[in-house]
Amino acid sequence: MKPETSKMLQRKVSELGSLPVMPSILQSLGTCLSASPDDLDIARIVELISYDKSLAAQCLRVANSAIFSRQSGVESVRQAVIALGIQRVRDIVYSCSLPQLFAGAQRGMAQSTFWRHALGTALVSQHLAELLMVADVEKLYLAGLLHDIGILVNSLLYPEEFQRVLEQAQSSEAPLCEVEQQVLGFTHCDSGRVLADIWKLPPDVTATIEFHHHPAGDRAGGEIPCVVYLADLLCRLRGLGYGYYEAREFDLAAEVPWRVLQKKHPDAAAGLDLARFTIELDQYGVEVQTMVDSIFSNSSASH
Amino acid sequence: MSTNSVITRNHGATDKDLADPALVKLRDLVYRISGIFHAENKFYLLALRSRRRMKEIGSNSFADYFDQLTTRATRDVEMRSLLNEITIGETYFFRSQPTIDAVSKIIFPKIVAQPGKQALKKVRVWSAGCSTGEESYTLSILFLEQIAPRFKDWKIEIVATDLNDGSLAKCREGLYAEYSVRNLSPQMRERYFQQQGNLFRVKDAVRAPIKFDRLNLQDQAKMLFMKGFDLVFCANVLIYFDSVAKKRTVEHFYNGLVPGGHFFLGECETLFGIYDQFRLVHFPGSTGYYKPVPGEDAGGKK
Repeated sequence: MKPETSKMLQRKVSELGSLPVMPSILQSLGTCLSASPDDLDIARIVELISYDKSLAAQCLRVANSAIFSRQSGVESVRQAVIALGIQRVRDIVYSCSLPQLFAGAQRGMAQSTFWRHALGTALVSQHLAELLMVADVEKLYLAGLLHDIGILVNSLLYPEEFQRVLEQAQSSEAPLCEVEQQVLGFTHCDSGRVLADIWKLPPDVTATIEFHHHPAGDRAGGEIPCVVYLADLLCRLRGLGYGYYEAREFDLAAEVPWRVLQKKHPDAAAGLDLARFTIELDQYGVEVQTMVDSIFSNSSASH
Repeated sequence: MSTNSVITRNHGATDKDLADPALVKLRDLVYRISGIFHAENKFYLLALRSRRRMKEIGSNSFADYFDQLTTRATRDVEMRSLLNEITIGETYFFRSQPTIDAVSKIIFPKIVAQPGKQALKKVRVWSAGCSTGEESYTLSILFLEQIAPRFKDWKIEIVATDLNDGSLAKCREGLYAEYSVRNLSPQMRERYFQQQGNLFRVKDAVRAPIKFDRLNLQDQAKMLFMKGFDLVFCANVLIYFDSVAKKRTVEHFYNGLVPGGHFFLGECETLFGIYDQFRLVHFPGSTGYYKPVPGEDAGGKK
C-alpha cells in the first residue's frame, strides 16, 4: 500500500469515525490467548462469553455444528472452552459476533454473501493447510475469516463508490480488486489493513488481510497468506464467492503461492489430488450455508 | 448434523433415508471404488438410485444393500449395476451448467482468438462415450445459441462416439422425453426441437454438425486416427477401466487434442494418479484439463 493511500484511508476513518470498535470480548480473548498457559483464566473467559446471552447461545450452536466438532453434546460455554480450546472458541466468537458488528452497512455486498465467502475461506484454508502439513494450522481459520474484511470497510466508508465497484465487477465478470483499483484507487486489501491496525489483529492475520492477493512477495509474511490466497480462489470458483461469475481460467499449480507451498512441503503437495479436493469443496458449501443461516436467523430474532 | 436443516429439497428421498448411517457407508464405498463422491447435497441422488437397485434385487434396507455390495458372491455384478444406475441414470440436455459456461464464456473465445484457427474458422469437438447423445446435442445447441451469433462464420464439428449400438441408435434417432429437455426454456425447446406428442425431436440444424460413430476406446489402432480436436469430453467412462487402460485411453485423448486444447471428465472424476501430462485448470464451478502449447511456461497460462 502506498503511504498516501494509507494516510488517506486513516483520515477518512477519523473523519467519519464510523468503523466498528472491536468487541471487548474479542480483545479479552486475544489477550487470554497471548498469555502464557499458566496464566489462563478459564473462569474469566467463560464469564465473558456468557455475559451476552444471545452470543453465548449462538456460540454453543456453532460449537456443536459439524464444522467445529464431530462429537456432539457441548452443553455449556465452559464445556466448549474445555473441549475445543480457547483458540477454537475465539474463532467461534469471531464468526458469531462480527456479522452483527457490520450489520450497519446497508449498501455494498450482501452480508450473507460476504460471510458465506469468509466462513468458506476460513474452513477451506484450514483444511488445505492440514493436507499440506503447514505449521500453525490453528491460525488459518481466523486469517481466512478476516482476509476480506476490507470489503466491509469499503462498504461503510465509501457506500456509493463501492456499490459502483460491485456493479462494474459483476457486469465485466472481472476480479473485484482490479475494479477497486480502477474506481477507488485502492483495494480492500489496503482498507482492511487500516482496520487490522486499528483493531491490533495478530501479525499473521494482518499480513493475510494486506497480502492475500499478492502473498508471495518479500514482505508478505510466510505460508499463511499463501494458503488463504488459494482457499479464497477455490471458494470463488466453487460457489462460495462474491455472488457473481468471474470469467477466468486458473491453473492453480502454476500460481506462485502454490509453488511457494509446494517447495516447502513437496511430499504433501505431490500427494494432494487438487481436482478431488475441489470437488469435495461442495460439501463445505452445504455446511457453510447452514452456519450462515444460523448466524443470521439468530441476529434477526434477537433484534 | 440433523438432516432436515441441511437437505431442503430431497427430490423424493425421505428424511429417514438420508439420515441412515448405512447410506454414508454406501457413499464411501462408491467413492472408494469409482471415485464418484456424493456430497451431502447429492445424497438424495445416491438414495434414489440405490433404492431403484434395491427394489430390483429385493433388498429392503441400505444396511442389507451394503452387505450385498460387499460380502455376497454377486457383489461385483451388483456394484456394476449400481454404477450404471449412478452414471447413466440421469442424463439430460444442459446438464452441467458450469462446464457449459466455461466452454461458452472462456474456452470458445480463446479458441477463436488463436492465430492458427483463422483460415478454417472451425472448432472440432469429440464426445467420447457419448451415450444417448444429450451431451453432443447440448454442445451443438450451445454453439447455435451462444457462439455462432457472437463469432460470425465460425463452424463446429462434433464427433460423437460410443461402443454401444443401442445408444448410438438412440443418438441418431434424436427423440427425447420431456425429462431430458427439462433444463431448456420453452423458447429453446421451440427453436431446436419439434414436439411430437410428449416427445421432442432435435431439428436438422442441431443434428447437422454431429457425426455419430461406433468406437471402442480400447481399440488402439482406431484411437490413433482421432486427431486434431480443440475439445474432448469423456464423462463417466474411465471408471469402467482398470488403471492401465485408463492411462492408455487418456494418453490417446491427450494426443488427439491440439496444443492449447481442453479435456473434460465427468463432474466427480479426476486424473490424479492416472496421467500427469495434462495441467489441471479451474473454471467457476468446474474443473478441466489443458494440453500446454510446447515451450509455454506453466506460469504464463492465465
